[in-house]
Amino acid sequence: MNRIAIVILLCVSLALAPGYSVANPGGNGDADRDYSCGGSCHGDPSLSMPSDATIGISLANEAFSEQAVAVEVTVSSMSTPSNIFGIFILGSLNGNSDTPEDHGWHIIQDPNGGSSNYIETKMPSSGTITATWVMLSPETIGTHNLYAEIHHGSYGGDKAYSGVSEVFEVVVNEVPEGLPGISSKWVAPSFRVSGDNSPLEITTRNSTDISVEWMMEGEWDPIPASVQCVSDIVEGICNDWEADIPATMGEIDIVYRITTFNGTYSIEQPWLKMGTAPPPFEGDIWSARAHSFAFALLIISILVTLQGRFSPVIDVKDIDQTKIIENSSLVRSEENPGWLWNPDTEKWVEDPEYQEEVG
Amino acid sequence: MVSSATLHTAMAEIVVGSMVLATLCAVGCLASKILPPSDFNSESLFITMDRASLAGSFLALLFIPIAIMTGNLAAEGHAESALLYNKFVYSGLALGFWSAFVIGRYRMGPGLWDVRKLAILQSATAVLAFLMTTMASSIGGKLARGESLFDVLPFWLPSDSAAILPLWASSALLAIGAVSTIVVFRLTLPRIQTID
Repeated sequence: MNRIAIVILLCVSLALAPGYSVANPGGNGDADRDYSCGGSCHGDPSLSMPSDATIGISLANEAFSEQAVAVEVTVSSMSTPSNIFGIFILGSLNGNSDTPEDHGWHIIQDPNGGSSNYIETKMPSSGTITATWVMLSPETIGTHNLYAEIHHGSYGGDKAYSGVSEVFEVVVNEVPEGLPGISSKWVAPSFRVSGDNSPLEITTRNSTDISVEWMMEGEWDPIPASVQCVSDIVEGICNDWEADIPATMGEIDIVYRITTFNGTYSIEQPWLKMGTAPPPFEGDIWSARAHSFAFALLIISILVTLQGRFSPVIDVKDIDQTKIIENSSLVRSEENPGWLWNPDTEKWVEDPEYQEEVG
Repeated sequence: MVSSATLHTAMAEIVVGSMVLATLCAVGCLASKILPPSDFNSESLFITMDRASLAGSFLALLFIPIAIMTGNLAAEGHAESALLYNKFVYSGLALGFWSAFVIGRYRMGPGLWDVRKLAILQSATAVLAFLMTTMASSIGGKLARGESLFDVLPFWLPSDSAAILPLWASSALLAIGAVSTIVVFRLTLPRIQTID
């Protein structure tokens, strides 16, 4: 009876131990995602709760048609912060085709260094975070809407929370003729491989010159980088540039700012970030397979050897060898009692059955 | 059509489940022989645990190659990270430990638990095999979901960095492994007998 009670208690404890959760507490990774987020718990009103966080959007600079603009999303006052939470920048709340790219924007860089409209981050201890997307404004002049949305869980992992900002209207102004800027085809690189000092390639438009200044993230004094035009100059305009930014090691992030020039125009673009990635992994799948099976065979060899070593020793003298002799081709000889002739090796061997006659 | 990743998860679950049973029973067999006999620690309980450990490990051994093959297909021919490379290595180690466990039990019979050194070796083999399998599975969790059961444990075997061998070195190691296995089996064949 006691045994059954112990087993039942153990089973119940194990069943209750993990807690009920169908969430992805590790997140889903940065990506381009719509408002409904592929039908996730956070996007499903029947499974999610409204977040009480305060979400705000602001622009760091004036928006001109197809010019870079920094969109800052500030999240604060989240009463149930989870380990990780996701921030979206959206062009609408339709539920599909609502990324900024679907509404004419072009993401140059997201807050994590990539180019996605959804990023995952952690709330700092201050309780307020500002995430900045650097985007090219839509070509169409006029008012364009932006929304910020957040998805998060709670420490218990029992609820999915979702919150969305008020609509933020961005007035995109007509771009003055010849205004220099970043090309709509250019995407800022997220990372450089550790130790790589190859120049940073920058594509612009209407630029007669550019300047690039850089600094380590967290520093305050930017350092100018040397810049070269790497394409043909037509009527003083060069749109392909290379900037020399020193190589980084470890987990250092570099921030840099491009300023584009054309005549009297001098346009400071938003600060961009470039991380340091470890060197690409050079493992080969066939090497991994061979490595794996080699270890398997070596472990078998070692353990079977140990098994043989630890198993009780069988003394040869204790073994009855009669049958061995009966089944063998050994020949008894009348002339040599006590000895057997082995025709294979052509040698005499001792007869274990022989007992010397006692007179 | 079921994807290879889903099939791999199913196979891995069978392997891990069987191995939990086999490991618990193997440790139980050792405890049963060390502890004095009692109402609870009976011969019938020992026999049940011995058979359960053999059945569990045999089932796991049967499914490990399938799990490895489906995992290979799910990896789509790339060992693109140290985590994935280590998953291969830990899978191989798990296969080796479980094979040795089954081979030892099959060749020596249940009498091996009566020889203290062998009993300790056999249960240690099961525990190490289980650790290697758990490690390989946890890496799978890290790759698929970004988290693993090992995250809450105070220790974590190395997996973020891998000792990569070039193909020729891996192949040479494989050849050495194959030769040593053949030699060991030939040398231990007359020595290891069923222990009565």
